[in-house]
Amino acid sequence: MTNSEMAQQVQSHFPKSSVASRFHNQLEVVTDAAQAPAVLATMKSLGFEHLSNITCVDWIKYNRFDVTYNVWSYQHRIHAVVKVSVERRVNSGEGPEVPTALHVWPQAQAYEREVHEMFGIIFAGNPDLSPLFLHNWQDIPPLRKDFDTEKYSRQAYGVGGEGEGEAQ
Amino acid sequence: MSDWVEIKKIAENDEYATYDYFFGPNHPGMHGNFGYVCDVVGSTIVRVRVNAGQLHRGFEKLMEQNLWFQNISLIPRICVVDPDPNEVAYCTAVERLFGIDIPVRAKYLRSLALEMSRMTSFLMGMGALGAMMGLYSVMYRMLTDRDHLLDMFEWLTGHRIYHMYNLPGGVRRDLPEGFVTKFMELLRELEFNLREWDSLLFENPVVHKRLKGIGTVTAEQAVGIGLTGPNLRATGFVADVRKDDPYAAYPYLDFDVITTEGGDALARAVQIRKEYEMTIGLIRQIIEKMPGGDTKVFLGNPLKFRVPSGDTYARVESSKGEYGYYVVSDGGLKPYRVSVRGPSLPAGLALCHEHLPGMRIDDIAIWMASLAVCPPDIDR
Amino acid sequence: MLMVSKEEIMDGKFERILNFFRSRSLWMLYYCTGCGAVELPPTMTSRFDCERFGFGPMATPRQSDILLVTGYVSVKTLKRIIRSYEQMPEPKYVIGFGSCPVNGGIYWKSYATINHLDRYIPVDLNLTGCMPRPQAVIDGFLTLADMIRKGEAVGYKKYRMNYEWYKRNQDQVLGRKEPVFKEIPPAAPVQEEKILAMEGVK
Repeated sequence: MTNSEMAQQVQSHFPKSSVASRFHNQLEVVTDAAQAPAVLATMKSLGFEHLSNITCVDWIKYNRFDVTYNVWSYQHRIHAVVKVSVERRVNSGEGPEVPTALHVWPQAQAYEREVHEMFGIIFAGNPDLSPLFLHNWQDIPPLRKDFDTEKYSRQAYGVGGEGEGEAQ
Repeated sequence: MSDWVEIKKIAENDEYATYDYFFGPNHPGMHGNFGYVCDVVGSTIVRVRVNAGQLHRGFEKLMEQNLWFQNISLIPRICVVDPDPNEVAYCTAVERLFGIDIPVRAKYLRSLALEMSRMTSFLMGMGALGAMMGLYSVMYRMLTDRDHLLDMFEWLTGHRIYHMYNLPGGVRRDLPEGFVTKFMELLRELEFNLREWDSLLFENPVVHKRLKGIGTVTAEQAVGIGLTGPNLRATGFVADVRKDDPYAAYPYLDFDVITTEGGDALARAVQIRKEYEMTIGLIRQIIEKMPGGDTKVFLGNPLKFRVPSGDTYARVESSKGEYGYYVVSDGGLKPYRVSVRGPSLPAGLALCHEHLPGMRIDDIAIWMASLAVCPPDIDR
Repeated sequence: MLMVSKEEIMDGKFERILNFFRSRSLWMLYYCTGCGAVELPPTMTSRFDCERFGFGPMATPRQSDILLVTGYVSVKTLKRIIRSYEQMPEPKYVIGFGSCPVNGGIYWKSYATINHLDRYIPVDLNLTGCMPRPQAVIDGFLTLADMIRKGEAVGYKKYRMNYEWYKRNQDQVLGRKEPVFKEIPPAAPVQEEKILAMEGVK
């Protein structure tokens, strides 16, 4: 099956999401958080059994987060990028919510733990979202676009003799 | 198995029956800086907690601060034993977004660097597996051979470990004078040494007894949890990124996908030995078939290089599994987002909760070495 | 900052007799803290063989002399390094391996790695390079042995005498209670005009 035929099949299941085929063996599905579990379960049943990665892109100027699932089908040799768009609600104190993909792919638990730590997105249904990589982190989630890493490094660890690490 | 049921009952009923065992960062059996905190009864593990993050550098944030060409110096440092697949994946993604195709000679040179890097990684991995079982002579001999390959790398690219050889648009340098003759001599020597390692490691009855039955996975389990590379092929499943999603010079080369039956640590060791032999044959093919031509496409001033907006995912087969780079561009001078997929995360963070309970503490190091769990690409 | 005089810190005559023997048999703690650790197995195995100079690996900090900090130090690693350093018996020496313990190296902008290791534990010798070759590593070891014989490798005395200063720096990083940024600073503006202007082209 070529990627345009697969795109038509996916579109027929979900007429409200936008599905496009691009490059010679990839396709892109854009959906929202309410439909995400249904879309992912359908993708897996259509042959996309290998989950490569769960990540997130912070589009600060459009005010949204795009939680991205990269899935691959061994049978059809097609790669699909599934983007789940949520609103970038960071000021209310709790982050945006996305249902978990744990029941479809078990290793999603580890990926979602990392995305929660780096972006602040809450995955409803994930049993363990404790910090994985950072030690005693008090600031905002570091991979967001409004976190300046060079300024943090200068202030917290001192560069070349300046900053709060310098002795008194 | 009745022992395991009894042990679980003891662990649940008596809170002082278990003790915390830190198979931790500072441990001679650990490859790199990573930790498992295990609850242990006697010498059997009951529960495992992961202690990751000691190697976290914030790569994905650092890559957003540099220009497209400046990232080439950061990218090989993600994986220390097998750095070339990272460079090739990033360059493939950038070239796909930019819409160009590199010259044929550059494709062959890329494949040559990838296969050499695969051989050094196999030697280090098998040497580490031997050392975890106590066979230190195997590790010493394999690391000496790996050093000869690193000398060849230094002649070709200028650095032993972090080559920075691939750029968007091709490769940095051409083959030096006299490289091919010396390299073919080295390949003959490496093939000869394979017989010695067969008798020391791969056909050693002590090794067979020690490795049998550790970390068994079936093909469905492996696909479901996300294992790739030699770990997946050792269960009998036919999948190789070089055939499924070809890149560099692999469409022009002639090879088959090798599998082994069994799915346990012994099958994975045998699989790596077979792939090592296949890699030597592939390198000979690459050198014979290499055409003449340019080694790179000139893409203009690196300080003003912009990539059209879009996003793509590029995957490359490394010695541990599938490396993937998801690159997002918004038309600027710097990448908007780069996300790295490391092959050790499914085994290190997800499969450990299924395999380690029930195992003895002597076997954790062997389990990690046979699944090629390498912590830098879990933490990035 | 650290006010010590040369006489009170360098080793005296009796110590130097003991140092003559110590410098010929040094055991290093086998803790691979970062990416520089990949050049240690070639240094220790048959091709470059550092054991002929007396340097060998040791698993536990309670019986080792040298703490080899190979490469960058993240915050979690810093906590373990300090603990291992304080478990080692004196005299003990620290070697900073690679460019990252000196000034942050290639990861100086990162939010997760520290930049100057010398503020948290005393470093006796720095081996620069990214990464240092096995020949450079052996050269560094021999320089450290030289320093020990002359009585100059006395980082452990500095640590003992200035413990409050080191502890204050460590607590600032490890025992953080408040965020570093009190309010979120605006993100750095895109500096495209500056890059284009570097070439003299508008």
